[in-house]
Amino acid sequence: MENTMTQPIKRRGFGFYLRIYRKILVQDLKSKMSYRADFLISTIGMIMTNLSGFVTFLILFKNFPSINGWDYYHMLFLYGFSLVALTPVQCFFDNNWNLRFQVQSGDFIKYCFRPINVFFYFMSEVFDVKGLGQFAFGVGTLIYAWVHIGIPVTPFVIAKLVLFLLTASLFMIAIMNAAAATCFWIVGSGYVMVIMFRFKDFAKYPSNIFHGVFRILFTFVIPIAFVAYYPSLAILESDNIPVLTWCAPALGILFFYLSYKFWMLGVRKYDFTGS
Amino acid sequence: MNLKRHLALTRAGIMESLQYRLGTAVTLFANLIYLVLVYFLWKAIYASAGTDVVNGMTFTDTMIYLILATALFNFLEMFVVWDMSRSIQSGKIILDLLKPMRFREYTFWSYSGSHVVLFALTFIPTFIVVLIVTHGAIPMGLNLLWFAVATVLALIVNFSMEMIVATICLYTESTWGINIVKETIVLLLSGASIPLAFFPEALRQVVDYLPFRAVYDIPLTILLEKNDTNTIEGLLPMFGLQLAWALILTLAGTLFWNHSVKKITVNGG
Amino acid sequence: MENAIVMKNVCKDFKILNRHEGLKGSIRDLFSRDYKTISAVKDVSLEIGKGEIIGYLGPNGAGKSTTIKMMTGVLEPTSGDILVNGVVPYKERTKNSEHIGVVFGQRSQLWWSLPLIESFRLLRDIYMVPKKEYEEMLELYRSLVDIEPILHKPVRQMSLGQRTLSDILAAFLHNPAIVFLDEPTIGLDVSMKSKIRDLIKGLNQEKNTTVILTTHDMGDVDALCKRIVIIDEGKKIYDNDIDHLKTYFGSYRTLRMRLSDDTWEERVIDETKEDVMQVILQKQKEQKIKDIQLQEISTEEVIKKIYEGGN
Repeated sequence: MENTMTQPIKRRGFGFYLRIYRKILVQDLKSKMSYRADFLISTIGMIMTNLSGFVTFLILFKNFPSINGWDYYHMLFLYGFSLVALTPVQCFFDNNWNLRFQVQSGDFIKYCFRPINVFFYFMSEVFDVKGLGQFAFGVGTLIYAWVHIGIPVTPFVIAKLVLFLLTASLFMIAIMNAAAATCFWIVGSGYVMVIMFRFKDFAKYPSNIFHGVFRILFTFVIPIAFVAYYPSLAILESDNIPVLTWCAPALGILFFYLSYKFWMLGVRKYDFTGS
Repeated sequence: MNLKRHLALTRAGIMESLQYRLGTAVTLFANLIYLVLVYFLWKAIYASAGTDVVNGMTFTDTMIYLILATALFNFLEMFVVWDMSRSIQSGKIILDLLKPMRFREYTFWSYSGSHVVLFALTFIPTFIVVLIVTHGAIPMGLNLLWFAVATVLALIVNFSMEMIVATICLYTESTWGINIVKETIVLLLSGASIPLAFFPEALRQVVDYLPFRAVYDIPLTILLEKNDTNTIEGLLPMFGLQLAWALILTLAGTLFWNHSVKKITVNGG
Repeated sequence: MENAIVMKNVCKDFKILNRHEGLKGSIRDLFSRDYKTISAVKDVSLEIGKGEIIGYLGPNGAGKSTTIKMMTGVLEPTSGDILVNGVVPYKERTKNSEHIGVVFGQRSQLWWSLPLIESFRLLRDIYMVPKKEYEEMLELYRSLVDIEPILHKPVRQMSLGQRTLSDILAAFLHNPAIVFLDEPTIGLDVSMKSKIRDLIKGLNQEKNTTVILTTHDMGDVDALCKRIVIIDEGKKIYDNDIDHLKTYFGSYRTLRMRLSDDTWEERVIDETKEDVMQVILQKQKEQKIKDIQLQEISTEEVIKKIYEGGN
């Protein structure tokens, strides 16, 4: 048998990647089942974070009945919306947190030897089950607020909700990709990710609290205004949807694409001198 | 105790932190943006409240409290839990245990260098900016000295909590879970995300006696001279609480570590 | 002979910050813009034929890894041309990686928590290996090594030897034209080393795979390589047969003589200048010789001489 040199180029399309991801996911879940203690502790951790976030929220509202004209239930809606929108980044892009260590130790090089997309290969390695707990918590909050505000439930509204939730999550993914990719250029940039992840806590407040330059900054540069505020207006103010909400899906794809390009540029730039 | 040897670790830590010059610049910048977020949020909150003083805190008080709490958080943040779990998994822990210094001391002094750098690069600049912007809202007297003392005690309490949590990592691989539980509890109950003054009375009663308060709330309360901390009578219970927790946690942590470390030697790393 | 790899005048420079010493130096470095350029690889040209096993040697920091990284498409050369299987690796990294396999020392590229067989299946899918070829490859593996004990074991539970073995098998799985092995036997025991050498040799013969082997273990070189390339301080300093290497500094042999008092006397003899028999005869005039041994100079000794800068 001879080497495969002369064979035609193999094409790897969307279907190929979907199939590979599914296979890795299944294997990964199987091996995770063998760490039951870890799963339990992580789940407790996840519940604790969400509870603590919720307690903070309650304490705040006990002292201050409304924020910038947003009452308790509307704020709660925003809160639930942001939690659900954070699920994809938590579940599918969690390996970003390991990027820094792998780049520094030189282990990252192993992702560059396979005939598949480096970004995909890297992200596919970790599926974070804990994100599902957050998802459940977010959906619960969202439904609770939804009922109290009295938004009608129609297929159109649901479709809109799904579309804008996906939009919102694209922005969050983009933020975390870009934050993680800084480690290709900057040694010791771990803090950038930590702080960007903390920025997300501000996504659950109405972004009209920002003024001047900072409104532009938090809308177009570090787009936390798009992680919950603008997309959720599509549901909350369906009679008076602002232009930015309409633009959100396209902008979300653009931001995601840019962050992906930035990440890949990092891979190319990185000189792998780390021993 | 050989101080020279300990200070050598501090020096090495400072040099290591300074290697990451761009990282340092980015950290400073990201921090600034975070503070802007905090500012806008609370400005809106106070504007919606309609009154200037809520639970004895003015907007300026709350801002100073939260900004300095963030600055303290950045300066006190340690990655002992992560480092520990990584060195357990790689087996490096054995090397650390062989160092001619007790592990606890070794860890503490290794971190001291980055504490010094972070204090100079994050806390001091933030403090100066807050001082200028709020002109005169921070009292400038003996409280600064007491604040410094309280911060050192806070550092010890914080380190002891980190070590206890890190020791748990000898038993489980679930570092993420353990770390997030710790972080969540500390951030909420220490007043770093919402000033403890806003907590409901019943919750307050409990939180007042927990160790978490000793990390952020007590130093900041002393700095702002709230709760009669400008008098000896007000000051003593604060220091008492910090000292008591520092002692209890150090002792408990040491015992727990000594007991657990036998486990690693048995497992052979 | 068809070429698997062609390198022409390849150079690679890195720009690094000039660090200063001490605490003061660290503070100064915060603001310094004092960079220096380091040439890791200087004007290296190389042709490697199909099916060859090449020993790529050099002292630590000589530029070996940098060269390998350029051949695999991870790094872009500063100047010069590289063709691997007719592909420019840096420009078409994905296409290039289709036909290469890489093992990087102690860094496993397998899925840490999966059993080996699952890693194999994922690799089969990723490289789109036809089912028949995949089965044949597994069959070949079985004939070369005993893979059953490790096939269903998660990689993280394996010993270093088993892990290295697994990584090598994984690198050959898609039947690549070229396999890069970076210190494959580092840290392994003697029997594992020979097992791995046999495996590499077997796969090379069966599949006519080109193997680029970097190592510090001359046992690997002696067992596997016909030709070796030595690089030092970024420059290629030797590129020829391994047999020829032994005459690099002249034709040396070590002569050991047991004298009447049972001590051994050792002489390194350059055969181009001295005759062994002449030396023995000379000695015998002075003293009684009870026994003699004549040893070939070992690869290790020659390499050591080369690294140390020759004569």
